[in-house]
Amino acid sequence: MESNEEARQAVGEYKAGWHDSENSTIRFDFGLSEEVVREISKLKDEPEWMTNLRVKAYHHFVDRPMPTWGNTPMLDSIDFDRICYYLRSSKATEKDWEDVPDEIRNTFDRLGIPEAEQKWLSGVTAQYESEAVYHSIREDLQEQGVIFLDMDSGLREYPEIVKKWFCSVVPLTDNKFSALNTAVWSGGSFIYVPKGVHVEMPVQAYFRINAKNMGQFERTLIIADEGSSIHYVEGCTAPTYSTDSLHSAVVELVALPGSHIRYSTIQNWSANVYNLVTKRGIAHKNSKIEWVDGNIGSKLTMKYPAVILKGEGAHAEVISVAYSGEGQHQDAGAKIHHLASNTTSKILSKSISKNGGRGSYRGIVNVSPKAENCKLNVVCDALILDGESRSDTYPTMEVSNPTAHCEHEASVSKVSDEQIFYLMSRGHSEEEALAMVVNGFFEPFTRELPMEYAVELNQLMALEMEGSIG
Amino acid sequence: MDQSALYLSLEEPRRSDHLWRYTPWRRVHPTGEVKEIPKLGSPEVKIMSIDGEEITEGISLGRDFRPTENLPEMDTVTDSFLRSITEDSRLVLNVEKGFASDKPIVLDINTGESMCALHLSLNIGSLAEFELVTRIRGNSSWFGLLRTGFIDDGCNINDVFLSVLESGTMLRVDSIGIGRDSNIRVGTISSGTENTKSDLRYKMSQKGGSLWVLGSILSTGSMHIDHHIEIQHEAPETFSRLSWNSACGGSSRTIGTGMLRVADGAKGSDAGQLFHNLLLSEKAEADSIPELEVLEHEVIGCGHGTANGPIDENQLFYLESRGLSTKEARDSLISAFLNSTLSEMGSGKLHEWLIDLLSDELEALKG
Repeated sequence: MESNEEARQAVGEYKAGWHDSENSTIRFDFGLSEEVVREISKLKDEPEWMTNLRVKAYHHFVDRPMPTWGNTPMLDSIDFDRICYYLRSSKATEKDWEDVPDEIRNTFDRLGIPEAEQKWLSGVTAQYESEAVYHSIREDLQEQGVIFLDMDSGLREYPEIVKKWFCSVVPLTDNKFSALNTAVWSGGSFIYVPKGVHVEMPVQAYFRINAKNMGQFERTLIIADEGSSIHYVEGCTAPTYSTDSLHSAVVELVALPGSHIRYSTIQNWSANVYNLVTKRGIAHKNSKIEWVDGNIGSKLTMKYPAVILKGEGAHAEVISVAYSGEGQHQDAGAKIHHLASNTTSKILSKSISKNGGRGSYRGIVNVSPKAENCKLNVVCDALILDGESRSDTYPTMEVSNPTAHCEHEASVSKVSDEQIFYLMSRGHSEEEALAMVVNGFFEPFTRELPMEYAVELNQLMALEMEGSIG
Repeated sequence: MDQSALYLSLEEPRRSDHLWRYTPWRRVHPTGEVKEIPKLGSPEVKIMSIDGEEITEGISLGRDFRPTENLPEMDTVTDSFLRSITEDSRLVLNVEKGFASDKPIVLDINTGESMCALHLSLNIGSLAEFELVTRIRGNSSWFGLLRTGFIDDGCNINDVFLSVLESGTMLRVDSIGIGRDSNIRVGTISSGTENTKSDLRYKMSQKGGSLWVLGSILSTGSMHIDHHIEIQHEAPETFSRLSWNSACGGSSRTIGTGMLRVADGAKGSDAGQLFHNLLLSEKAEADSIPELEVLEHEVIGCGHGTANGPIDENQLFYLESRGLSTKEARDSLISAFLNSTLSEMGSGKLHEWLIDLLSDELEALKG
């Protein structure tokens, strides 16, 4: 198993499963109340409008029932009173890795973040528990007016821009978990790319939960002004504990006319994390939003990256892969709303279920009555690798304009014996052959990732596939 | 618990449930008062051959109603409601073992003028081979049909449902089990009713069953036509295909939701579903939700697809280049679209009979 040994050396057994001793400077008690929400806002010295928004969102979260669809038994098992809603482990967001507290820096060293920054990134934010601990951006981009800050600094330094766009894409009443995020958000990224500026290399945010029973609620807002472009990459890991943690982020993207935003995620939470995320973008005239979304870890993921195609000629793409192993349910998909004419979209979703895991594609695509000549294409493929696993597809297509061309196709299958036989006849073991087929299955996704991420994803998948035969 | 008590104990279904997403139960209920179980009449039911002759042997309507076991799991609201309102309106279609007929058989259901409902139980013996058209006509403002039953082993049946009701609302529920090595085609031709909600569920609980579910849906004016089709593969080596074509004109709305369930242990299942929607006017709307739940990995394949769009400009251009006017070319393409599923529903004889019957409706759609 040479390839798996290589993979193990590179990524280890759930490579991010260790945890540091908790040296928090501020830790709230478990449970959520209006007081907790006000306290978080006070700690951050926020303007009054933000405090009021948080409180309003908190009440909406309390009043709103849990979703009655999806994996309701898992959702109902979340104990909101056993979660810590705010934990700060560092006194400030540093601009130099040397200034980050040693233990936290070691964590990110082990995850390879500083090395990646030197090699291929335009900027980095590292978030540990509730707050960003490190932040940097290349000077030349800063000179061109690119703003890349953690969200708290963004609110402090650019309150007018934040006020204008915050909650404009995902309103606080959107769903129960986005309301929770709006009430207790902390950290995340704030990016503004000025008109005509192209950020050639990706910027990256890395989110790490370290403590037990932790809730991480980062909030990300990216605004690409006219004719600009940016590629944002995020990675997520957490230690393996026997108790559950909650990650409930909200991401808002605003692509102004002619701009291009690509948002790539490799979610590799440990199997005790509920990952309930709301991601949505608004695409204005001739702009393009792409979500590239890899879901490998977590206990339950419910994530449906969405694009509202508001301006004529806008384009949306969602490419996602999901791996569901033992005890995992990856309920992922995409939502595209064609509100304007000549808009186009493409969804490609691939999932693999193994060892009793459950992979679900859930998506909605709609074309409004006034949106002429829209084109959309949805493809979902699923592989089931054993008898205990399952795969579901729940696509919805609502078309209210006769000029729309809409296609959807999905298939669920197992790895074909012919493919395995062919690869084995070329000298590979059965396990290697299976790993190759799986990597090939994910290839349309991995080719969209920066090379370092694609290599790591292939290695992670090889490791997850170990022991699949026999 | 009796069915009325069961129904009254249930909450009104939520719209987050896909079955009720587009057509709320309130809209389908005969009076709109969902806590009411109205007293409804019975339709007039006759059985005859396709050319109107009486049938004397092998197939008959009776009243010896017996509950059937091993039926697909149903939606409790519609099932208990229909069973409540049809307590005095039940019939059994008895088909003897080995019954065979070359001529298609028509089960003619005339709703008359008033609201009515029927529970039809299918009791079909093994090795039966025939074609059945269940035709619904009349101008009742509300009609409910619950079909339950089991098709025994080795049957070869084409079962076509044709609704030519003049207006009103129709609630149709099928809950049918399919026996070993039976080969069944269930066709639905829907036109006429203003408001249709149907929930069709088929279960293949025996090895080797084969099922085709076909739909040709014509919606015009302000019709609202909502079909849910669920195919449950419970046994190994079962095969199913769903092919559903809807042509939508006027300000009508058609909804097609499909669910393919492959149970753990249904090895060698082969299941597929396709929804095609042809949008013919600016105000028409078509919604499709083809769902899959697969719990078995040793499957030949499970897939689904949907396609929505207007009439293909290239096809139109081709026909016009062969001398057809734009209207003729358009009409031909609409007919061909609906005919692609209609022609698969049964024999040539049955197909001709259906085309004759539907010519008026097709004209209305072509406008």
